[in-house]
Amino acid sequence: MRKPGFSRKQLALPYALFLLLFVILPLFVVIRYAFTDTAGHISFRNFISFFQSSKTIGTLIYSLVVAVLTTVGCLLLAYPVAYILAKGAYVGRHTFLMLFVLPMWINFTLRITALKEILTLLEGNLALYPFLNTILCMIYDFLPFMILPLYNSLTKLDNSLLEAAADLGARRWQIFVRVVLPLSVPGIISGITMVFLPSMTNYVVLDMIYNSTYIVGSLIGSYFSSYDWHNGSVVSIILLLIICAITWISNRFAGGEQERKAGVAL
Amino acid sequence: MKREIKRIKQLFSGLFLILACLAVFVGCDQEDKDVIVLRVSNWEEYIDQGEWDAEEAIELEDGTVILGESSLVEDFEQWFFETYGKRVVVEYSTFGTNEELYNQLTMGDSYDLVCPSEYMIMKMMEEGMVEPYSAEFFEEENENNYYVNNVSPYIREMFGNLAIGDKMLGDYAAGYMWGTLGIVYNPEYISEEEAAHWRLLLNPAISKRVTIKDSVRDAYFAGNSIYNEALIGSQEFISSDEYYQRLSEILNATDKDTVDAVEEILSNIKDNVYSFETDSGKADLVTGKVVANQQWSGDAVYTMDQAEEDGVYLNYSAPEEATNLWFDGWVMLKSGIDGDEDRKLAAEAFVNYLSKPENAVRNMYYIGYTSVIAGDEQGAVRQYIDWCYGAEEDEEEVAEYDVTYFFEGADAAAAEEYVLTVPEDQTRRQLYAQYPTFDVVERSVVMACFDKEGNERINRMWTNVRCFDIVKWWDGVFSK
Repeated sequence: MRKPGFSRKQLALPYALFLLLFVILPLFVVIRYAFTDTAGHISFRNFISFFQSSKTIGTLIYSLVVAVLTTVGCLLLAYPVAYILAKGAYVGRHTFLMLFVLPMWINFTLRITALKEILTLLEGNLALYPFLNTILCMIYDFLPFMILPLYNSLTKLDNSLLEAAADLGARRWQIFVRVVLPLSVPGIISGITMVFLPSMTNYVVLDMIYNSTYIVGSLIGSYFSSYDWHNGSVVSIILLLIICAITWISNRFAGGEQERKAGVAL
Repeated sequence: MKREIKRIKQLFSGLFLILACLAVFVGCDQEDKDVIVLRVSNWEEYIDQGEWDAEEAIELEDGTVILGESSLVEDFEQWFFETYGKRVVVEYSTFGTNEELYNQLTMGDSYDLVCPSEYMIMKMMEEGMVEPYSAEFFEEENENNYYVNNVSPYIREMFGNLAIGDKMLGDYAAGYMWGTLGIVYNPEYISEEEAAHWRLLLNPAISKRVTIKDSVRDAYFAGNSIYNEALIGSQEFISSDEYYQRLSEILNATDKDTVDAVEEILSNIKDNVYSFETDSGKADLVTGKVVANQQWSGDAVYTMDQAEEDGVYLNYSAPEEATNLWFDGWVMLKSGIDGDEDRKLAAEAFVNYLSKPENAVRNMYYIGYTSVIAGDEQGAVRQYIDWCYGAEEDEEEVAEYDVTYFFEGADAAAAEEYVLTVPEDQTRRQLYAQYPTFDVVERSVVMACFDKEGNERINRMWTNVRCFDIVKWWDGVFSK
């Protein structure tokens, strides 16, 4: 058989090019702006002023709280659903899964518009509970992103392990806490990364439900729209560092888990 | 081998296609040598795009029928050919905010004629981007100079009073639309007296049922008016000699004390409002979610029209402290015109064509804003206002509405008065928004472009207002 005229490495070329043009190069621009002042001199003043202002710090904390609550909410709602979908012994499982995943295919602004009307009906006036509404809409928005990875990792879970635990006398909750939960950690982690990070910057949701407080995403947007490239870049860099930190932590978590599993196997 | 031949064939047909396309482009280029290309950028939905239904035709008193069949841009191309014997093609594009336009220009997009707001015109003049209008443009003898022959004397005077350094604004910009900044409110919930003050935005009685524009300049103006309300509302201040100049200075101030005080006020407004809106305010007023909304006069007209169709009657107020007098104007760009006489002629002709009273009426009808064009006594604009707002003979409550200042000039002692007889409620509704009374414009201020320092301070203030105030929150937790 004739070999194809290119190696595997070459196949990655288009992506590498894309990465270079639209990720790496812009990143350098952002870094340059973050560490210079309006006159073009190298300066750390932008960073210092970010951490000196109680307002910008406040918004960073506010976004973190929104992201944490959204993630926890999604996890609590999605886990049982994913578990039932993956392990439940009933016909039409796939249909049910589709029913849960289908909303993902509808644009989220449309979904939020609908939810807005429901919330107005329930609360009378949307503006009375902006924070609660933000969390509700974020959860609504990101729920499918949590269900899917959990479902994937739970379907891969070997049923014989559960049976073995039951044979050895574990109660149902013990099976769940000591077998199912630890084995689904990779799914939980990828669910968290898919929900936590975007919910920190998803300011369109806040705009749509009239929460006039900025989160990190809106803060960056407001700096850029007033041509303040320097401060906007600083916030972007800080956000990037948070993303890196979270990815690093979750990788360690997942890595540790795999090592332990390997130990058990031995 | 066969496959390779097929590949080569494909390659060639592909190449051929590309070449063919290129040839078409090149062909166009050569053909269009003597056609003037005019690149215009305007606000979205800010010009009559034609295609009116026949029943929409406006029949004026003197029998003139105004009907936008094709867009004004197309009509201009035809008119230009008939008048000057040269072909012009308008490349028309739109922008969403002044900042967006400015960004496009600094990023290298080129236009010949653009229509920014007053402060952006001043900024662009300051940066030397703007080409002055030619002397021919201001010749009143030329009957094709519709702008200079029909622009409102009031607007002309205002343009004459504004200057950047030694450059007069009137030499660099031709007005298009103008208006005031005010509050649209539902009179079922809010009295006329309450709506007459910017303080309404802070009123706890309508907490979470009032909205403000999500725009730093508009919010700042309202906040600053509240901050200075005691001073600028006092009779002593109003009757002082330098009233107008001092009012203008106060409302254009960007010193630290003022900005800090306004930040405090806007933070309180933020806690009181339903939202900082960009476009939802109109719909929310109609559905009753909000009962008052800070709005530009032109949007206010549109909102009141829309609400009326749903049986909701809204009013407009230009607060007693002060209102922001704004305008959008046509400026030619040096980078676009680039010394090309023909293109400059076409750009000026475009402004003139839009300033023809019939066309100004078409625009006003289509977009709801107020044209700077006044025209003469028998002109289309006056007839149009009468057609829109004039009282019917069997109308019970009528009022006299004086707009002499706009049509005849501010000191029109010698000139003939221009007073309309209108249904009484129009003195607070669409007419009042579209053509404010003289007392409103007397307390109006043009907001100039702030200097760099002031701009930075105001943007920082806005960020502070919008960010989560963790200190205030902490205090709130403890006081509970």
